[in-house]
Amino acid sequence: MAGGQVATARRARRQLPWARTVFWLYAATLMLPLLWMFGMSIRPNEDILGSFSLIPQRATLDNYQTFFTDPAWYSSYLNSIIYTSMNAVMSLIVAIPAAYAFSRFRFAGDKHLFFWLLTNRMAPPAVFLLPFFQIYQSVGLFDTHLGVAIAHMLFNVPLAVWILEGFMSGIPREIDETAAIDGYSLPRFFIKIFLPMIRSAIGVTAFFCFMFSWVELLIARTITSVNAKPIAATMTRTVSAAGVDWGLLAAAGVLTIIPGAVVIWFVRNYVAKGFALGRV
Amino acid sequence: MPDWMVWTPPTALVFTGLALLLCVMAVWARFSPPVARRGFLRIETDRGDRLYIGLISAAVVLAGWIAVTDLSMWLALACALLVAVVIGIWG
Amino acid sequence: MTDQTTAVTGGRAHGRAGGQAGGGAAEPRDEPDRRADAKPRNNRAWLLVLPVVVSVTFTALIPLMTVVNYSVQDIFSPNDRIFVGLEWFRAVTRDPEIRAAFLRTLLFSAQVLLVEIPLGVAIAVAMPRRGFWVSVALVVVALPLLIPWNVVGTIWQIFARADIGLGGWTINHVLGIDFNYTLDSTDAWLTVLIMDVWHWTPLVALLAYAALRSIPDPYFQAAQIDGASAWATFRRIQLPRLRGVLTIAILLRFMDSFMIYTEPFVVTGGGPGNATSFLSVLLSKIAVGQFDLGPAGAFSLLYFLIVQIVSYVFFTVLTRTGR
Repeated sequence: MAGGQVATARRARRQLPWARTVFWLYAATLMLPLLWMFGMSIRPNEDILGSFSLIPQRATLDNYQTFFTDPAWYSSYLNSIIYTSMNAVMSLIVAIPAAYAFSRFRFAGDKHLFFWLLTNRMAPPAVFLLPFFQIYQSVGLFDTHLGVAIAHMLFNVPLAVWILEGFMSGIPREIDETAAIDGYSLPRFFIKIFLPMIRSAIGVTAFFCFMFSWVELLIARTITSVNAKPIAATMTRTVSAAGVDWGLLAAAGVLTIIPGAVVIWFVRNYVAKGFALGRV
Repeated sequence: MPDWMVWTPPTALVFTGLALLLCVMAVWARFSPPVARRGFLRIETDRGDRLYIGLISAAVVLAGWIAVTDLSMWLALACALLVAVVIGIWG
Repeated sequence: MTDQTTAVTGGRAHGRAGGQAGGGAAEPRDEPDRRADAKPRNNRAWLLVLPVVVSVTFTALIPLMTVVNYSVQDIFSPNDRIFVGLEWFRAVTRDPEIRAAFLRTLLFSAQVLLVEIPLGVAIAVAMPRRGFWVSVALVVVALPLLIPWNVVGTIWQIFARADIGLGGWTINHVLGIDFNYTLDSTDAWLTVLIMDVWHWTPLVALLAYAALRSIPDPYFQAAQIDGASAWATFRRIQLPRLRGVLTIAILLRFMDSFMIYTEPFVVTGGGPGNATSFLSVLLSKIAVGQFDLGPAGAFSLLYFLIVQIVSYVFFTVLTRTGR
């Protein structure tokens, strides 16, 4: 009976025979610009500008070699990784208790606080540029990794609260109550029982925090100059210099995609499973 | 307050006013918890929601006013307050 | 969200198999609002929220107050400034360039939503749901989201160029259409739009895909037993389930496209002319480029006001309808 049901379900879900084809066509289109950039990154510059060809004539790793030997490039790459990781950890630490509070209790002004948080996720970063510049200079966080990590909490903390709250609301409150009866204190319950239960939610949230911090340019560029300069800023500043080194730019672009690809490969099961649980 | 926040008396006054308003709302909620109901806005709101909508609408009135006419801003302020009060009571 | 419950009961009444196999066990998510009423009232929960409040005060509230202060003064230095009242607001709201940028950004957001939401849902419906290919599909679809925004700009800057880019070259030489985004404003607009669709449709698709996966099998069995067409299955079973995530998707997409900055900045720099200078591009030009604190502050506040209104309207309409 159960096996029959699964089979029926599969048949039921497979109603559009051409759907998969369409999907993979879309996926191919999605990859096309990326592949093109990759192709460009392994060509010497004179080939790129000299003649148009679909397949690279001569493959070279020169562009990558330049990237890894020039400190201006590789150190800004490291900078991005450092502040992004810091931001993900800090956002989670701050957001987990808050999300728990929103999902479990009613308190004065909870709805409004929740909405206010969300509006910060929606606020255009350009609005905050000038004051950020002033604040981070006056408190000594200008051009530090910590500074960028804190600045990115502007949009990541609200997002993390919003995602985690959705997941936590999906976990019945009876579990909390049972644990309380069994003599668990709130912190102990939280660490021993609750956090393991929402593992996948934390994975998904960390993924989103990482993603939004990794891709952000405007704020990161404004509050850094040398020591914590993100790779994104290095790329745009190189563009504005005399002439564009397309090959090197493409190589840098390819390399900035790698951490994201790695992260998503690790959390892919969590994303799939986690998505099914919560609201995001 | 640090220098770079470049406070002016009017803006300080506005923010103090907002802070006081929030305190009043909090204290009021303690004595009589807010009740959600439906007014002419056709959505269910409690008094906190209406305060928010009222303030935002007032801001819109001010911004719209300054964008189109040269009439006195005091008149605009009066209209804005009127809008906020109307939304607060019947919204 | 409320509609999910109606969808559940509707689904059960509709399909006999649903009641038989589902029996409510496959329904971990109740209707959130009803449960909210049962949540205990506890103001000590504020202690748990406190870290968030502190961090957001530092990253959002204090900067915002500073922006308000900027907007009413003509500032030469922290000690040398003049209170000018609402003059900057008057100047900003009447500036034809800013007005044009506002309309342009609205138009862009509208186009983005019109294309990305239906396309994203369609992709989610077509995505594989079982087996090894699920992982591959997820990674492929999610990849554009993980690319730094300026790199997205770089990718399209290269890809759409008529001389060295595959896309631009194909349009010019294979299709025979004259296409050059650095000279023609329509081409520039289309490039930015297509880039945004390429970049962000995956987000809509992933959100919708997650919601679709959470639909228990019995619903589909029931639909099949009743001989429902693919469209009817989509319309009656899948679409109602998508309501919640589409709320989020529309909100996120509207807001992010309304404050789009990096990608057009890299690809077109706002040009040619003003063709792609959206609000954020213009604002950061005034703020960081010219360091005009007063006008930038007034501009920022008006921008912020619009964002507040739109998020509230979306939030309210999409979470409260049907109550």
